[in-house]
Amino acid sequence: MSLVNFTTREITCKIVYYGPGRSGKTTNLQYVYSQVPSDRKGRMVSLATQTDRTLFFDFLPLDLGTISGFATKFQLYTVPGQVYYNATRKLVLQGADGVVFVADSQVRQLDENIESLQNLQVNILEQGVDARTLPMVLQFNKQDLPRELILSPEELDEALNFRSLRTFPADALHGVGVFETLKGVAADVLRRLSQGGMGARRV
Amino acid sequence: MTTTVVEPWAEQPLLRYVTESSARLVVLMTPAGQVLAQHGFARAVDLMAASALGAAIMAASGALAQQIGERTFGALFHAGERHGIHLAACSTPRGALIVLTVFGKETSIGLVDLFYDEFAAALRRAAPADQLREPVLAEDFEADLNRSLATLFQR
Repeated sequence: MSLVNFTTREITCKIVYYGPGRSGKTTNLQYVYSQVPSDRKGRMVSLATQTDRTLFFDFLPLDLGTISGFATKFQLYTVPGQVYYNATRKLVLQGADGVVFVADSQVRQLDENIESLQNLQVNILEQGVDARTLPMVLQFNKQDLPRELILSPEELDEALNFRSLRTFPADALHGVGVFETLKGVAADVLRRLSQGGMGARRV
Repeated sequence: MTTTVVEPWAEQPLLRYVTESSARLVVLMTPAGQVLAQHGFARAVDLMAASALGAAIMAASGALAQQIGERTFGALFHAGERHGIHLAACSTPRGALIVLTVFGKETSIGLVDLFYDEFAAALRRAAPADQLREPVLAEDFEADLNRSLATLFQR
């Protein structure tokens, strides 16, 4: 749930990057980290295995500056994508104000995308949150790969986007679509605050 | 040393705890790692990283406790060469809260733990029930957001 300090006029929001293993969640955060001036970011914390697979989470605090008179900070998290790390995924998802689902555009990864998306729905529901009220966007990553290996944004939209969420084609490795995705989810999260909602509705 | 509070009811209990325990850094946070009050951190982004890690440790140890049939573990303690950390959760009318305390040689784990119990009791007395709040941002926030993100990404 977004934390609002009315005394110092500060807002802090938690954004979680979710998706199957190797879809590019950590790459998104690494690109953001590489682009943001040092006075506007904290150290990026990565709790990873020896082979650089996310074990618990990556974490990047960002200072967005002043929005509507409130100093606004975002905490970006990734979850471990591998199937057997579901317990830690649930922990990281706790209290999220918004979710970026990073889908792998490769044709052979479609089942993993669907499985991860279903797993996200289950984990959100387990926390007593109505998934329909949680701000969320979809990123179709790896769109830079050869055409014959990937699904187009339209095909991915048809296969994954049953909630009619905003979608962003991306090549996170080179930064394409990373900024737009972050902007999309940030706008959705802050829009809830402008409408009086302090978090997703409990079910 | 700086003390900042997001929710004013936490200030007096926190200041008293810091004075009595001689802690160097204290963070009061939600289980999701959102900071409600802190003492000792100069940079907000450092504070956010510490609170994210503290919340993660508590979440992981709580899940581990359930795996072995425990309801939860009590306080966690780690001793380093120059600093120790004390990490514990307490329930309040505001919901479950987590306290991360970093302390040095000028105090001891025994004293920190003793004063933590009093701090937790003071938080329970002071905390209001969580309430829904009015709209925070103006409806035309998006122009500010676009400008902020453009500056952030130097575009």
